[in-house]
Amino acid sequence: MFQVMKRLRLTQPVRFCSALSNNSTAATSPIQPAEPDQLYSKLEIELRGVDPAVLKSYTWFATTAAEHLGIELGKCWSPRKAHHERMTLLKSVHIYKKHRVQYEIRTHFRYMNFHKLTGSTLDTFLEYIERNLPEGVALQASKTELQQLPEHLQQPPEQV
Amino acid sequence: MNFLKKVLPIAETQLNMANKSALHTSAVCCRVQSGRYRITTKRDRPLTYEMANPPHFIGHRKTWNSWNTSTLKDGLRPSQTAIEDVFIRKFITGTWHALVCSEIIIKRQHNTIRIAAIIRQAISPRKMYFLIGYTEELLSYWMQCPVTLEFQTVADKKDVVFKYI
Amino acid sequence: MATNLTRLLESSIRSTNAAAVQSSMRLFSNQQQQHQPEDDDEEFRVLNLRTIRQQARRREFKKEAVQPPRTKRMAVDQDWSAVWSGPRSFHPASVPLPLRQGYTERGAAAPSKYANAELMKIPNFLHLTPPAIRQQCEAIKKFCTPWPKGLETEAKWKRTFPLEVVTSDYCHSLPTIRNPEARRVKITLKLSDLQFDAHAKDKFLRLVGERFDRETGLLTFVTDRCPTRKQNYDYALYLLTACYHESFVTEPWEASKSEADMEQYLFERNQAKRSAEAILNWNASREEKVSPPSGYAESVEQLINEGENEYNIAKYKEEVLKLLKIAI
Repeated sequence: MFQVMKRLRLTQPVRFCSALSNNSTAATSPIQPAEPDQLYSKLEIELRGVDPAVLKSYTWFATTAAEHLGIELGKCWSPRKAHHERMTLLKSVHIYKKHRVQYEIRTHFRYMNFHKLTGSTLDTFLEYIERNLPEGVALQASKTELQQLPEHLQQPPEQV
Repeated sequence: MNFLKKVLPIAETQLNMANKSALHTSAVCCRVQSGRYRITTKRDRPLTYEMANPPHFIGHRKTWNSWNTSTLKDGLRPSQTAIEDVFIRKFITGTWHALVCSEIIIKRQHNTIRIAAIIRQAISPRKMYFLIGYTEELLSYWMQCPVTLEFQTVADKKDVVFKYI
Repeated sequence: MATNLTRLLESSIRSTNAAAVQSSMRLFSNQQQQHQPEDDDEEFRVLNLRTIRQQARRREFKKEAVQPPRTKRMAVDQDWSAVWSGPRSFHPASVPLPLRQGYTERGAAAPSKYANAELMKIPNFLHLTPPAIRQQCEAIKKFCTPWPKGLETEAKWKRTFPLEVVTSDYCHSLPTIRNPEARRVKITLKLSDLQFDAHAKDKFLRLVGERFDRETGLLTFVTDRCPTRKQNYDYALYLLTACYHESFVTEPWEASKSEADMEQYLFERNQAKRSAEAILNWNASREEKVSPPSGYAESVEQLINEGENEYNIAKYKEEVLKLLKIAI
């Protein structure tokens, strides 16, 4: 088991791209949690890529990994049409306005939803699937964190 | 907080300017001919698979040579990526002089760049290993990120030829 | 053939002639004598700067023996995840599959996997085969914790955790890990989770303005004006706290609110109440005074606040009849 982890680290010399907030303390030391773990009701993953087949394969990989880790899987879907960014130019160098060529960049989208993750599960899962992100695919992970109301909002203020 | 109010809109507009490719300064000519090859009278012009399919087949019969997220919708730093790709291509065709038989494929994953190509077996393996290390080292110094070369070798240039026209 | 033969003959005759001349000129120079036999053809001599040894050392490129592809030595039951452990471009010599890729005219076979750039271009998932995924998931499963008991449904966790904070992470193929979009924070909670009195609720809704959705009853704060996520989160909570506490403050000018400033029709403060009382207590003594019933008050408020519709008018009619004790 340790060897597998080592191989995971060794074969992928990539920097992990999650942004500023990081509750890595909970992920690395599950035995003595210093503070209570966060709760995430939903993890929504948006994938963007040029090739829909690659996105499909990646979705299959992520959902399979979620199944193995025991994460509840929500709706996975993709819009029917890709986003087209078009640019129209004259076909000839100088004149002939009626003859144009059109160039376009297509961006395919795909969405995945995962529900009910604890903070450590989310970190583990997200890091695993982000590390295995294929080239030319952008990932956006929106996390819905559950929090208690702060104490000063639970009761109406006595004096104002 | 007030100074942020002043600074942030300016920074944001600058960011937006950098993101959107509003200006096109490249030449617009040759877009009808580029990537298309004429038939010779003797029918002896060798074409690779990449050359045999004109650009409008990208995404249908052949795929892209650069894989990155900058070209996608809301992708960051598209211009820098394009310039870097051009530089990498030029550097590799010059370093592996007369050895590259195919297009140079540049794949960007996280912060690593993986470069794939088909190379002719015209030099000894020792030289090849030296060139691989040399290219990786210099490119990773210039790009400030790890660069990996993943080459495939062929015995002869004719191996990559798809058809003659 | 004939022409060749004649040319050969001519040259042999010429050489014999030259030999004859040479023998006659023997007296003049030794060098000439040595050079004579070389340029027996009628050609210019070639100036050869290199010696013969250098010419002979023409370098022959020795091709080294190329190893046969690795696939031929692979066992059938090998551990594939050891062969292909990480993301890598396709290499035909290490994938023992008879792959073909490419479009050809009808009838021709697609190009094979050797020297096929198309296969190298497309991102492959050869390192993420189902056994590899299972193996890796088992290895990382020890870092996962189960969802706590008692919070199974949304209604249950909403009771303890009413506040929702939405943040997003971005993963792009860039040399930088920063993304300006990642600073955005959205916090959501239901208005019913906060405790208000009537005045405070009214003032709070005025303060938050567009951030409150009347249909769903959700309060949403989106902040993106600070450069980092932590600051934006703090700012969102600050906004919520400030609005909540400010709504309990009663300013001195709020007492001078006239009837024209009221946002809702209140039966207690209006002419309708006085008229109804006047009708009910007509000619009544001071002790027997009655106030109009609450049903009437409600129907009047409803009629003016919600507007005239069939139901409100019918109800108002009913209440008026009841108030005046008219039987139809």
